[in-house]
Amino acid sequence: MSDDLPEEFDLIVIGTGFVESCVAAAASRIGKNVLHIDANDYYGDVWSSFSLEAFIKLLEQPSNSLRNGSYTWHKSTEQEEQPVTSWTRESLLEKSRRFSLDLSPRVAYCAGSLVQLLIQSNICRYAEFRSLDHVCMLYNEELVSVPCSRSDVFNTKTLTMVEKRLLMKFLTACNDYGEDKCNEDSLAFRGRTFLEYLQAQRVTEKIANCVMQAIAMCDANTSFETGMQRTQRFLGSLGRYGNTPFLFPMYGCGELPQCFCRLCAVYGGIYCLKRSVDDINWTDSELLVSSAGKTLRAKHLVCAPSQLPATLATHFGESEPRISRGLFITSKPLGNEELNKGGGGVNLLRLLAANGEREACLIQLSHYSGACPEGLYILHLTTPAISADPAADLADFAAQLFETHASQILLSAYFTIAAPAAEGIANADTPILCTAGPAYEQDYDAAIENARQIFSQLYANEEFLPRAPDPEEIVVDGEDPSALNEHSLPDDLRAQLQDLEQAAQHMDIAD
Amino acid sequence: MAKTYDYLFKLLLIGDSGVGKTCILFRFSEDAFNTTFISTIGIDFKIRTIELDNKKIKLQIWDTAGQERFRTITTAYYRGAMGIMLVYDITQEKSFENIKNWIRNIEENAAADVEKMLLGNKCELNDKRQVSKERGEQLAIEYGIKFMETSAKASINVEEAFLTLASDIKAKTEKRMEANNPPKGGHQLKLTEIRTKDSWLSRCSLL
Repeated sequence: MSDDLPEEFDLIVIGTGFVESCVAAAASRIGKNVLHIDANDYYGDVWSSFSLEAFIKLLEQPSNSLRNGSYTWHKSTEQEEQPVTSWTRESLLEKSRRFSLDLSPRVAYCAGSLVQLLIQSNICRYAEFRSLDHVCMLYNEELVSVPCSRSDVFNTKTLTMVEKRLLMKFLTACNDYGEDKCNEDSLAFRGRTFLEYLQAQRVTEKIANCVMQAIAMCDANTSFETGMQRTQRFLGSLGRYGNTPFLFPMYGCGELPQCFCRLCAVYGGIYCLKRSVDDINWTDSELLVSSAGKTLRAKHLVCAPSQLPATLATHFGESEPRISRGLFITSKPLGNEELNKGGGGVNLLRLLAANGEREACLIQLSHYSGACPEGLYILHLTTPAISADPAADLADFAAQLFETHASQILLSAYFTIAAPAAEGIANADTPILCTAGPAYEQDYDAAIENARQIFSQLYANEEFLPRAPDPEEIVVDGEDPSALNEHSLPDDLRAQLQDLEQAAQHMDIAD
Repeated sequence: MAKTYDYLFKLLLIGDSGVGKTCILFRFSEDAFNTTFISTIGIDFKIRTIELDNKKIKLQIWDTAGQERFRTITTAYYRGAMGIMLVYDITQEKSFENIKNWIRNIEENAAADVEKMLLGNKCELNDKRQVSKERGEQLAIEYGIKFMETSAKASINVEEAFLTLASDIKAKTEKRMEANNPPKGGHQLKLTEIRTKDSWLSRCSLL
């Protein structure tokens, strides 16, 4: 079937993870001839989502980038008044395809880098999001919702009247920070920690918890400036979509790389899955990729660390544990009814352990996220790996969740996402540009920065993912200049067309 | 901003490379046929608003963007699709045989209740025909879906096919609305939704 695959490209991208897909889309968008391949028969590599069956199979087959997999089925111990549905291993597997189980789940800030990039490039038309229902914190072993909107602050029963005023005052001060660099606080707290600043505001312990755990997402050592920036990031993302500053992609984060792949394909990128690479060689001017008995030639090559051919992987250093993951399927959401109104939505909780030195992120998904069947919940637990044992890395966090909060875990699974260290990738002496692999982060800042940086290494003076026109704007049979293939135009005409397009972008066109 | 339509249906075109999916799309959306725009670059989807029983229906019809070539259509392509046109070429036996694989693909990735329809395209090329109309009909019966032979070039049945599919989806949607459980969706990000920086911290001023 792959016999008619062309053999020469501007760029070959190996791996369809988030970063690789970003680069492929960006290159294709500016008219480069792109081949995008993946050894797996699915999109997304370690950024993908899986059906329940496929997920379990994946855990049973360790790879370079996904290892230490284990899973346990638990008997439902439900004996409450009226057991609505009693879930069993069989009944879960029957609905296998209704699950979208993420390897690398995250939430995105409503005004964060991912959302900005999706809107700027018009890739947003391929994705749908659910705004998070609650940002939570653990306070005195209780799971409580952190008030996010102004009305939340007024309505919450979590805080007293005085606390409400203190919180508002504090957040307002954070919001104004930075406009006046010589502001007293800015001077006084330079070089000190955010926690010190917070304590100096004489907020109550509960508010300090709200801010540290959920809003600024800091630890005791976070600097004053960083804490302020993070608080502002949170505040700046409020009031855009929904009630909280976060979004979660419908059907899971595995959709996102696919959205970039779609744009790449729309601009002529060629896609091949289940296509592994045996070897990569190079001359001064091009790279030669041997794959399925064929030699493919490209001016440039970008590769995911997980898909480097064995002969080359050593150039980039050993793969080491990067993220420890826990994934739980339960029939009962965490927290009280208030946090899970109408069957629950998507909730976020940041957990701390070891005196605040370590953190983990919990994302709880209900069927409204499109990622699991109704009546079930997915709990994604993620922490930076400190060992090769994901269950041990997560034990402290899991205990905080499950020991004091009734839950009905039906399946628990653990695995490690591994990637070579950044230095290894940076120091590799090959013309292959290797992407960084997923890092522990909220949002996609590091991933997008990685893609941007690789793109600018390839095409220094080109724009990264400029807006793709809406289909209505492309008139094929008419006299519109963009009717022609934009990239087949002579340079002067293309420049004119781009000017036109740019001018059009600045116009406020009502639809 | 007033909505200019009553319903919005997302439709997909699926089938082997070269069966004329893009041509069908252009025949329906622009009433045009052109063999020169072979590459589907930049096209993505087309929109046409039709009217059925006094309801304005906006059809958003998505093309495969060439990802059918090596069977690498993303699972995301199928999300939210309400109708699918399965297209083969009556002059290419292989494209007809592959319909089975495409149906399997749809079953794996699309919503269970997605409305499907089978189209045998290029019916103006009768002298090169490899798939009889009866076989097309038979396959459609097997899958319990509707069937038509079309020609994007000669403008035969393209309009009718989309109207049929749209009206079947409309009937299904209205039935579901009567049952009073419309599906709950997510947010689509739009530039216009972004508000200014002030957000909720800005205070109301009492004048």
